[in-house]
Amino acid sequence: MEDLVPIIAIPILFLALPWLFLHYRTKWKTMGTITHDDEAMFEELYRIARRLNERMDTVERLVAQEDPHFRPAQPAAVDHALSADQPTAAPTSLGAPTRFTSLSANRSQP
Amino acid sequence: MNPNPPRPDHTRFYRDKANGKIMGVCAGLADYTGVDVLWFRIGAIIAASITGGAVIPAYILTGIFAAKKPAHLYVDRDEQRYWQGVRQSPQRTTREVRATFREIDRRLAAVEAHYVSSNPRLADEIEALR
Repeated sequence: MEDLVPIIAIPILFLALPWLFLHYRTKWKTMGTITHDDEAMFEELYRIARRLNERMDTVERLVAQEDPHFRPAQPAAVDHALSADQPTAAPTSLGAPTRFTSLSANRSQP
Repeated sequence: MNPNPPRPDHTRFYRDKANGKIMGVCAGLADYTGVDVLWFRIGAIIAASITGGAVIPAYILTGIFAAKKPAHLYVDRDEQRYWQGVRQSPQRTTREVRATFREIDRRLAAVEAHYVSSNPRLADEIEALR
């Protein structure tokens, strides 16, 4: 029985543990991290989605101003993280006149 | 094109000295993951008491080697939440962006439908063109 301990312990120490470590490290590396290009893409996606949301707000406001009967599409039940649930940070690139802000209440909820 | 050429790296760990208590490691972890900073502080204190202070050098080394968080890493709270989501799960963030685009598509479709179906001025103009 005494002789069995090193026979079991040595393979575990020198084979199983390094294998476990390397196995999970490569797994983690392939799935957990994103490359620099991915990061740039995520940043661009964020900007585009946000800008489109703001433009859509503007368009809906313009249409609603032109025709009071216009009903904008109701937000879907799913929560979406990129909805404009805070005051717009950069209205400069948008070209949205400030006189329409009073009409924005129907679209501000998440 | 790019307003600030040295683009800050959004997927690396920074220590958040401005919101931190000692060196900002816990606050940096909280900022990185999106989990409240209180949990990291409690965890750090528990870990320090269990291990008899063995994690304190690790804390200090992290505090020395981790870069400080740039002042304007995020424009606002929404952007911070977005990047926390990216770091937690890029796949889920991709799905969320897709959901956002679908939502915009739906809203745009509603505007289009409105103009196609019930805009008398446009209908008049189309009539005039015939």
